[in-house]
Amino acid sequence: MSIGRDEVLHVARLAELAVREGELDRLVDQMNRIVDYVAQLDRVPADRMTAPFLPGPASAALREDVPGPVPLARPPAELAPEFAEGFFLVPRHGAMEES
Amino acid sequence: MSAAAAAKEVGGRLAAAEPLNATLHWSQALLDAEAARVDAAPAAGALGGMPVALKDNIVTVEQPTTCGSRILEGYTSPFTATAVGRLREAGAMIAAKTNMDEFAMGSSTEHSAFGRVRNPIDPERVPGGSSGGSAALVAAGVVPAALGSETGGSVRQPASFCGVVGMKPSYGRVSRYGLVAFGSSLDCISVFSRTVADAGRVLSVMTGHDPLDATTLDRPPMPVPTPLADLRGLRVGLPREYYPADLHPGVGAALQRTRAAIVELGGEVCEVSLPHSPYAVPTYYIVAPAEAAANLARYDGVRYGPRKVGPEGDIRALYQATRGEGFGAEVRRRILVGTYVLSAGYYDAYYRKAQRVRALIAEDFRQVFASGVDFLLTPTTPTPAFRAGEKTGDPVAMYLADIFVCAVSLAGLPAVSLPVGRSEGLPVGAQLIAPFFEDERLLAAAAAIERAVPAGAEVR
Repeated sequence: MSIGRDEVLHVARLAELAVREGELDRLVDQMNRIVDYVAQLDRVPADRMTAPFLPGPASAALREDVPGPVPLARPPAELAPEFAEGFFLVPRHGAMEES
Repeated sequence: MSAAAAAKEVGGRLAAAEPLNATLHWSQALLDAEAARVDAAPAAGALGGMPVALKDNIVTVEQPTTCGSRILEGYTSPFTATAVGRLREAGAMIAAKTNMDEFAMGSSTEHSAFGRVRNPIDPERVPGGSSGGSAALVAAGVVPAALGSETGGSVRQPASFCGVVGMKPSYGRVSRYGLVAFGSSLDCISVFSRTVADAGRVLSVMTGHDPLDATTLDRPPMPVPTPLADLRGLRVGLPREYYPADLHPGVGAALQRTRAAIVELGGEVCEVSLPHSPYAVPTYYIVAPAEAAANLARYDGVRYGPRKVGPEGDIRALYQATRGEGFGAEVRRRILVGTYVLSAGYYDAYYRKAQRVRALIAEDFRQVFASGVDFLLTPTTPTPAFRAGEKTGDPVAMYLADIFVCAVSLAGLPAVSLPVGRSEGLPVGAQLIAPFFEDERLLAAAAAIERAVPAGAEVR
C-alpha cells in the first residue's frame, strides 16, 4: 500500500500538525517505509487471532468514582491570572469573537 | 557522611559531567535543599540520602519538565509524581532532571530538542534511548541510581549500551501519576543503577497501589529482594528467536558466558520458542504511535508551553503552527503514523490487527512460563552501542535497536538488563525476563548472576 502526498497532508490535518512544503516528500518516503515495515503483520495467520490484549491482571483495580481533593502544590486559582467556577479564564481569541 | 556533604559532591560530579549533555535541569541550591530535608529527617529511611536523577518526563514542582521538547519549554508542573514523593519519603535526594529523546520517542537520545547525549564509555557513540541521560549519569558514576521510563525498552536498551543495570517492573507495579503519558498501555517508570541491589532498593520504595493512578496494581509493595545464593532448582529458557545467526559475535559470546555462569550456579538451561516475538517491533510501532497520537493531542499551544499563531489567525491554525514547530521530526512522524493507523479505513488493517498480534506475543510468554520455565535469558540488544548519526536517516533501522526488548513491554512483564561483559571495550547487556508480578524473584536471581559474571571483562 502506498501513501501519497495528499494522504500525508490529510493525516496531518487530522492530527492538527502543520507540515512544511520542503519536508513533505521526505515525510511521504518515511511514512511509506514505516507502513511497509509494519504491514508484515499480514503474515500472521488470521486463524491465530485472539481477543485484544490488556496488560496486567484481568481485573484492574479502579478507584471509587468519588471526587477528592486535587493534590496540587498550589490551588488552581493561583495557577492562572483568572479562575472562576472551576474554569481558567483566558483572553478571547480573535477568530472566536466573530462566532 | 551528611547529606549536605554528599550533595556538594554530587553537584561537583554533575558539573564535571556537563560534556555528556545528560542533564537538562539541576542546581546546587536545589541539591542543598534536598540534603537539608534528608539531614533534618528523624530517620535515614530505606535509601539513606541516596542521590537519584529523574528522566525529564517525571514531574516535580521544583524544576521544569520539558520531556526533551520545545513544546514544553518553560513548563513547570503544579504537582509532583507519586514515585518521586515515595523516593523522598524513603530518604532519597533528587539530584537532577535528565536529557531524553523527545517525549521518550527514540532509541539513541539523539532526538532531544536539547542536543544528543554522549555515551560515557565512548562519547562518539549513543547511550541508547530514550532514557539516555539517566543511563549516562549512572554509568559515569555521577549518581548511583536514576529513574527512566519504559514504553518499548527505553531503560533496558540504554542500560545495555552504557553497562549498567536497567530494571523494568511489571506493568502497574509503580504509579505513573506524574509520568508524562506516551503509550498508556505500555508506560512504566523504571530504574537504572550500578548494582542489582540498588535497583531492588529503589524499586521497592516506589511500588504499591496509588489511588491517584487507577492502573496501579492493588497489591502490597515489593519487599527488598534477598539475593539468591545459587540458581539450583531453577530453569532458565533461551528463546531461539532471540539468538539469530547474525547476532553480533561479541553479544553472542557474552551471552554464552552468562549461560555458562547460570549452569555453574546450578541452574538448568533449556531452549524454548516465542514464535510471535519477531513481530514485536512492527506491533509496537503501530500500538505505541496510536496511543502517542492521542496522548500528545493535549499539546496545542493553549494549555502548555510556547504558542505560535498560524497565518490564517484562527484556532486551528494556532494548533497546527504550534504543534508543527514545537514537535521535533521523530515525534511528528509518530503522530502522523499513529493518526494514520487509527483513521477510518485503516483501523482494522493496522491497529486492530496489532492488538491481536500483541495478544499472541503475550500468550507465547504465558505458555513458556506455564511449562515450568522460571526465567528467560536473551541479549538486551542485537549489537553494542552504535555511533551517533549512524541510524538517524532511517527510522526503521533505529526501531530495530529495540528488537529484543519490545515484546516484554507489549506483554507487560518484568525484565532486567545486566552488564555481562565488554566487546571491543563496549558494554554488552543480558536480559532476564520473569512472569508477571515476579519482580522480586527476578532481582533475587539477577543478583546471583551479577556476582558470577564479570561485567567489565572483555569477551573473546
